[in-house]
Order: sequence, then C-alpha cells, then structure tokens
Amino acid sequence: MSALPTLETGLLLGLYALLAGVWGVLWALARFRKAASFGRSAAAAYGLHTLVAVVIILWTPLGLGWKCLIVGSSLAFLAIPPITWRLLQHTHDNEKVGA
Amino acid sequence: MYRSQTLALKYFAAAITVFGVMTITGLLSSYYYISLDFLFGVIPFNIMKILHINTLVIWLLMGFMGSIYWFLPGELGRETAGIRAAEILFYVFCAAVAVVAMVFIFVQYGASNEASLWLINQGRKYVEAPRWAALGIVVIMVVFAWNVIGTVIAARRTTGIITVLMIDLIPLILLYLIAFPAIRNMSADLFWWWWLVHLWVEATWEVLIGCIMALALMQLLGTPRRIVEAWLYIEVALVLGTGILGLGHHYFWIGTPSYWLTIGGFFSALEPLPLLGMVVHAVYDAGAQHMKTTNRPALYWMMAEAFGNFIGAGVWGFMITLPQVNLYAHGTQWTVSHGHFAFWGAYACGIISVLYLVLQRIRNLAIVEGQLWKWSFAALNLGLVGMTGALLVAGFVQAFVERAIGGSTLNAFISGQENAWFVDGMVARFLLALVFTAGYVVLVWDVLTLGRRASAVAAVAPAQ
Repeated sequence: MSALPTLETGLLLGLYALLAGVWGVLWALARFRKAASFGRSAAAAYGLHTLVAVVIILWTPLGLGWKCLIVGSSLAFLAIPPITWRLLQHTHDNEKVGA
Repeated sequence: MYRSQTLALKYFAAAITVFGVMTITGLLSSYYYISLDFLFGVIPFNIMKILHINTLVIWLLMGFMGSIYWFLPGELGRETAGIRAAEILFYVFCAAVAVVAMVFIFVQYGASNEASLWLINQGRKYVEAPRWAALGIVVIMVVFAWNVIGTVIAARRTTGIITVLMIDLIPLILLYLIAFPAIRNMSADLFWWWWLVHLWVEATWEVLIGCIMALALMQLLGTPRRIVEAWLYIEVALVLGTGILGLGHHYFWIGTPSYWLTIGGFFSALEPLPLLGMVVHAVYDAGAQHMKTTNRPALYWMMAEAFGNFIGAGVWGFMITLPQVNLYAHGTQWTVSHGHFAFWGAYACGIISVLYLVLQRIRNLAIVEGQLWKWSFAALNLGLVGMTGALLVAGFVQAFVERAIGGSTLNAFISGQENAWFVDGMVARFLLALVFTAGYVVLVWDVLTLGRRASAVAAVAPAQ
C-alpha cells in the first residue's frame, strides 16, 4: 500500500467501527425512549456505516479477504444490538419469574 | 470490616499514589518531545518512559488486587484465607516498587552482565523490573491466587464469578514467567515476550476486570447474580475468542512467519464485535435504572469504562489492526494513541468506579454526590481523549512521512520528527497532559475529602 491510502484506509476503518458503535447506542436508546427520532438516528448511523463500508470495499487497496471481512462485520454489527437486547430481556424476565 | 477489606483500602491508596507517579512521569516524558535537551545528563527519556509504563502496570495491578480483596469476603462470607501473608506482602510490594524506581532513577544502567539483569533492569519493555523484583511479583501473585483459591476451599463454596477469577489467575501467573529467560535470539525473545504483554492485557486482564465489573454491578445497581454471571460467561468467551489469536497483530518487523499477520489481523478485527455488545449492555443497565443510583461517580466511571473500552480498544484498534495499515502504523505514535485510550477505557475507568463504591461504604454515605468528581471526571476524560487525538495526528505523520514515503530510514525518522504536524501534535499532547494531571489532582482531593464536605453528602446513613 502506498503512502496516502495507508492513512485513508486507517481513518476509514476507524470511522467504520465508530459508526457501528453510534448505531448500537442509538438503537438501544431508541428501545428505551421509544422515540422515533432515536430510531431514525440509529438507522442513519447504520446507513453511514454501510456507506463507509462501501467506500472501503470500492476505494481502498485492501485484499479481497479483508473486504469480505468488512461485509461480514457490518452484518454482525447490524445483528448484535437486537440480539444482545433480546438476551438481556430474556435473562431479566427469567430472573423476575424466578424471584 | 474484614481484614481483607482493610488490606484493600491500603492497595487502593497505593494504587492511587502510583497512578500519580505514572501521571507525572507521563507528563515529563511528553515534555522531552518539546524540549529535546530536557533533563539532559540527569534522566534520559528512556528511563522516564520506563517509569511511566511500569507504574501504569503496577497501579492497575494494585487496583485489581484491591478490588478483589474488597469483594472476596463479601462474596464468600468469610475472611480471606492467608490474609496475614497478604498483609505482609503488601508492604514488601510497596517497598520493592520504591526501590526499583530509585534504581531506575539513580543507577539507570549497568554492565552487560548477569548482575545487571538481577539488580538493575531485565531490559524487556514493560517488564523492566530487575530479576529480584520480578521474582517478588511472582511470589505476590502466587499468594494472591492462594488468597482466592484458599478462601474458596475454606468456605467450601464458590460462585460463578469467583470460579472464573480462579481459572484466570493461573495463566496470569504462568504468563508472567516469560519475563525471566534472557533469550539471545531476538526474534524468539520478542515472539515469547508478546505472549506475556498481549495475553496479559488482552486476555487475562480482560477477564479480571470482567469479574471485578460483575461484582461491582451487583453492588452498584443491584443487578441479580444470575444475570451478571450469564453475561460474564458470554463476554469472557467472546473476548477470549477474539483476543487470544489477536496476538498476531504484534508480530511485525520481528522475524515471525508472515501467516501470523493474517491470523492476528483477522481475530483482532473481530474484537469490536463483543465490545459493541458490552456497550449495548451498559446502555440497557443504565436505562433500566433510569440512571438513578446512590453513587453517580461510580456509575459514570463504569459507563466510561464500557464506552472507553469500545472506542479505545475497538475503534482505535480497528484503525490499525489490518496488516496493510499495521505494517506502517506499527510502533508509531498512532499505536501509542491506541494504547493510551485502550488502557484508560478498559481498566483505569473500572478501577476508579470501584474506588467510589468502596468510598461510599467506608464513609457510610447514603448518596455520593458533589461537584469535585464531575470536574475530575471531565478533566481526566477530556485530557485523555485530547492526548489520544494529538498522538493520533503525530502518528499519522510518522506512518506517512517516516514509514510509507521515507521507508523507515534514519533520515526519514528525522523528517517525521521535524514535521510541523508532528511537533504541534506533541505540544498539544503536553498541554492536554496538563489537563489530565489537573483532573488527577481533583480526583485525589475528592477521594480524600468525600463525605467530609457538607456538599458531598446528601444524607448520611447510620453507621452499620
């Protein structure tokens, strides 16, 4: 990889992970507040995350294997907040029933 | 109060003191980049850096041990086994740290022989302590492990969290033994040395802080044990699953087989996934309590731990973890930026959170409030985030000018160091280190006076 793409790729990868975090937090807040604005913001954050993923895939000189990893990670990031939430609710509900 | 908890208070006091030494030596280390002849002929930069990094390791270790000594008797309903030995070793530990620091400052170097390894410096980054002190650390950690395991045996019962902790202490001690052999082949030496550094920081310490946060969560938010333990198992499995083979992301430029770079890049690229789950978990817990707690500093520091871990280890790590980027970023200020953020988020915030929980108990505070903790929370986090930002800019310059364009020659190194962005980044880092230091001073002031100031106590519970 040459000089400038090194920095660009690094920054894009950081932005990619950061937007995944923003998506997760906003998604969780949307569940709590039951506010449409949080839901829309979460969708926008994930949209931006996907956009950055597309830029990484099309524009950076990463190898094919790493680009596949980016796609797989994006799908995992999409699924993690709802799965985590469901598991949390499940364990808390079980605890209430047990009590 | 159990003797184990009295010992915990001593460990917390020592940890906060060593945290201060780490902060001051970090501040001074950052000034060397601005004034190149700073302390010339008195203390070289590398000695100041050794003090900064080793005190980081020691204060976190003391914080972990203090946390466990605090929670263990309550968890198992009895005094910690072997507490007398632990009490004696606390003073040995503190004395050894002081002696080693004095040797680093006043002796600094020795001849290239065995005596220097035993008495002055073992010469391996992060574990520079001379061999006699390293042996002492092994003894202290073995006794610490015995305190936990012996208490379980004496109590004839255990809990899920303590079982995870016991299992974790075994590799924690065994890995430290890598600090001893003086391997002459540098590639082989660095190969094993990374096992110690990486598998402490990104495996055994992660499990340790996971156990401590689980114990703290039950006390802070009253989260039921079954929930905390279920999540501890899931999160530990995920963190270990991605963290152990992430080891390969350190194996650059040291002569290890190239397949390690792919393995390391792949597994460490997965590390943000469980960290995102932890962030969602933190939001859930905080939201379920509507952010209402009797100890807001502890809750805020715990939230900072979850978010700091995700951003510092997850986001900052993801920037540099793929081999194509890591090849250039490795060992630059870019990785220093990642290291600062990740250590702060993953460990330091968690220990400060436990410290506030402990203060609430020992000072009999029904509610912990006030203004000072907010100032220290803001200054420490602002200073830390600012420093990592400044280091990131400096690291970009190094990766770009020194590595990618210059090809890592000595001339390229000098060009990188003289670049205006690098110089400004270092000045900004120093200024923000001052903010961090101010935050530390306020934290200490708050810790010393909490509950003794009228504004800090909304209500005082009757002494138990």
